[in-house]
Amino acid sequence: MRSAIELKIGEKAIINDIDNTNPSARRILEVGFTPGEEIELLFKPVFGDPLAFSIRGTLIAVRSSEAKCILI
Amino acid sequence: MLTVTDNKLPLITLLGHPNSGKTTLFNYLSGKKYKTVNYPGSTVEYSISRILSRFEFNANILDSPGIISLIPCSPDEKLSVNYVYNHPKYGKTDLAVVTLDASQLSRQLLLVKQLIECNFKVIIALTMVDILNKKGIDISTTKLSELTGCDVVKIDGRSGEGIDELLKVIRINMNLLNENNLKHTLKDYDKNKIISLYNDIERIEKDVLFNIEPVVKDNELINIENANKKLNVLSGLSVNGHRKLDKSTVNIDKIVLHKFWGLIIFILVMSLTFTSIFWLAAPLMDLVDTFFGNLSEITSNALGDNLFSDLISNGLIAGLGSVLVFVPQIVILFLILGLLEDSGYLARGAMILDKPLAKIGLNGRSFVPMLSGFACAIPAIMATRTIQNRKERLLTIFIIPLMSCSARLPVYALLLAFLIPQDQPFIAGFSLTAIYIFSILSSLLIAGVVNKFTSKINSLKEKSSFIIELPTYKKPKLDTVLKNTFKNANQYVKKAGPVILVLSLILWVLTTFPRQNTELTSDNLTASNSLLLQNDSLTLEEMDSYDLSKSYAGMLGHFIEPVMLPLGLDWRVGVSLIVTFSAREVFVSSMALIFKVTEDDDEGKFQEGILNSMREAKNEATGQKLFTTARIAGLIVFFVFAMQCLSTVAISKKETGGWKIPLIQLFSFSILAYIMAFITVHGLKFFGIS
Repeated sequence: MRSAIELKIGEKAIINDIDNTNPSARRILEVGFTPGEEIELLFKPVFGDPLAFSIRGTLIAVRSSEAKCILI
Repeated sequence: MLTVTDNKLPLITLLGHPNSGKTTLFNYLSGKKYKTVNYPGSTVEYSISRILSRFEFNANILDSPGIISLIPCSPDEKLSVNYVYNHPKYGKTDLAVVTLDASQLSRQLLLVKQLIECNFKVIIALTMVDILNKKGIDISTTKLSELTGCDVVKIDGRSGEGIDELLKVIRINMNLLNENNLKHTLKDYDKNKIISLYNDIERIEKDVLFNIEPVVKDNELINIENANKKLNVLSGLSVNGHRKLDKSTVNIDKIVLHKFWGLIIFILVMSLTFTSIFWLAAPLMDLVDTFFGNLSEITSNALGDNLFSDLISNGLIAGLGSVLVFVPQIVILFLILGLLEDSGYLARGAMILDKPLAKIGLNGRSFVPMLSGFACAIPAIMATRTIQNRKERLLTIFIIPLMSCSARLPVYALLLAFLIPQDQPFIAGFSLTAIYIFSILSSLLIAGVVNKFTSKINSLKEKSSFIIELPTYKKPKLDTVLKNTFKNANQYVKKAGPVILVLSLILWVLTTFPRQNTELTSDNLTASNSLLLQNDSLTLEEMDSYDLSKSYAGMLGHFIEPVMLPLGLDWRVGVSLIVTFSAREVFVSSMALIFKVTEDDDEGKFQEGILNSMREAKNEATGQKLFTTARIAGLIVFFVFAMQCLSTVAISKKETGGWKIPLIQLFSFSILAYIMAFITVHGLKFFGIS
C-alpha cells in the first residue's frame, strides 16, 4: 500500500487506512484524516517538508514522518 | 437552580478549536474585565471573567486553551483537559459552550461528540456561517440540534449577532442543570472509536448541510435569473462543496508556499517585521526615556539634595523608566505578530521553518517564540507553551535568551556609535544587522550542539510532532489584535516590572552606600583622588565618580577587576557589566554615571557626552586609552551572548519548573560571552586592530 507522502503535488487519493503503529496516528485521525476521505497533496515548501494536504475542506501541514501513516 | 453565591457561581467553560472564534466570543462576553491566570503550579493559561453585567447574568466564564480533542497529546493539553473536568478553583464545568466553525463542521464536531459522550452539558455556538454560505452551503440549526441533542445558536462574536439568543439558551440550560445532574466521565478513544465517531459525524453533516446558491455580492449584477436561483434552495447536499478549499487561500499559498517565492516572501516579511520593531519604536522609546529623565530631574529638584530625593529620582523613577522604555517595542512586535497570526501567515512561517529547525532539535512551533525573543525574552519564553514535545520546548526556552532582545539595542547603539563616525549611518545600520545575523546563527549553532549533547546523555525519546492547520487567509481583525497586544504588553509590565524595579533599587543601594563623609580627609585619599585634587577643580561629577569607586558596587567592580583585565578593561566597565544584570540597557546609564557624564537636556548631546568621556578614558594603571576598537568589539560580542537579565532567569525557572535550566543558561552563556569577547579582542589584535 502506498502512503500519502508518495503523492505528487496536485495528486488526489482516498485514504485507505491509518497505520496505528505510528505514534502520531491518533492525532492524524483526530484532525480528520479518516479512511474514505479524499486528500490532495497541495504544497511542499522550500525545504520539502512538512507537506500540506487538503482534507475535509481545510489545509493541514503534516511532517512526512507522520504523514507516512496515512495509507492510500 | 444553582445556589448563586460568590464562591460558587455557575461555571461556563468555552471550548473549541483554535481559530474557531472562541476568544472573540470570550472577549465579547467578558469585555475588558477578564484576568489571565496560570493554572496553579503549571504553565497553562486560562482567562476567567464574570459575564458582563449588561447581559444581566451571573456566572463565571472560563476561556480554556484551544483543544481539538478530549484526548491530550502533551502535558499541557492534559492539564487543560483535566481542568475542563474539574477546575481547582471554580469547580466542575456546569455548561460547555463549544464554538464550532461551521465551514469546518466535520472536523470540529469531534470535540462536541466527545463532550456529549462524556456527559457534559453542551451548547453549540456556530461561528463562521458566512464563510460556509460563500461556499454555497447553509446549515440547519434545528436539525443539528435534533441530531446532537444540544442547543445550537448561530453567532457572530464580532458584531454580537446571536449573542442574546445564546445567553437565552444558556439561561434555560442553567435552570435545567439541577434536574439532571450528570457526572462527567472519562473515556479513552482508540483508532476504531475515533473512526466510528467520524462516521456518525458524517451522517450528521449530510443531514444538516444543504446547498444554496452562493450569496451574490451587492456590487455584482443582479439579474432576475440570479435572484431566482438564490431563492431556489436545494434540499440535501448534492455536491461536495463543503469539502472545497477556499479558492483565494489556495491561490495565495501557491506563492507563499512556493519553493522559491515562499522563501523570498518569508525573508521579506521577517525583514519588514524587524525593521519596524526598531525604527518605528525608536521615537516612542525616546519619548518614554525623555519623559522619565525629565520626571527624575524635576523630582530631584523639587525634593532637594538629600538621600530620599536620590532614592525617588534615581532609584524609583529611573527604575520605572527602564521597565517602561521597552513597552513601545513590545507593543509593536506583538501588534505585527498579531496581524501576521490573524491573517494566517504565522502558521505558514512555522511550516516553512519546521524542517531546518527540526534538524537542530527544535520544532516549527519554536519559530514564533524565537521571533518574540527579539523584543523580549519574557513573553517569548511564555509563548513556548504551544510546543508539545517537552524536549523541544526546553531547548527553545534554552536558546531564547540568545535572541538579541530590545534591551541590547541601546547598548549596541552606544558601542557602535563609538566605533563608527556619525556621518556614516549606513555603516552603523549595516553593522547592527550583522550583529543580529551573528546572534541568530550562533544561537542556532548552540541549539544544535546542545541537542547533540543532550540526545547522547538522554536516550528518552518523546515523539516529535508537527501537525498544524493552515487557516484560511483573512483580513486581520484589528480590535482583537489590539486587545491581545494590550494583554501581552500588560503581562510584560506586570511580570517583568516588579523584578526590574526591585533590582534597580538594589542597584541604587549598591551605588549609593556606604555613604561617605563629604569632607575628604587625607586618610582616605587614594592616589588617583589626590591627583584629581591637585587639579584644584574637583567638580561635582568627579565627586560622583569618587563615590562610586568607594561604594559597594565599586568594591564589587574592584573585586572582579582581575576578570576584566584580560579583556583590556578595568573595574569601571566591570561595575557596568554587573549592574546590567538588572536590565541590559542600564549599561548606558551606568557608563554615563561612571565616566562622569551629566545628562544634558538634549538626547544627542547626552550620548556624545558619554562617547567623549569614553574616548578620553585612560587605563588607571598604564595611562593608555581604555577603549579601543578591539575592546569595544569585544564588549559587543559579550552582550550578544551574556544572559544579563535576572527577569529572564526568573521566568525560565518558572516555565521549566526548576532552577537547573536557568542556572545552566546563566553560567554557560556568561562564560561563553566572556570567552567569545576574549577571542574577539585578541583575535582583532592579532590582525593588527587594537
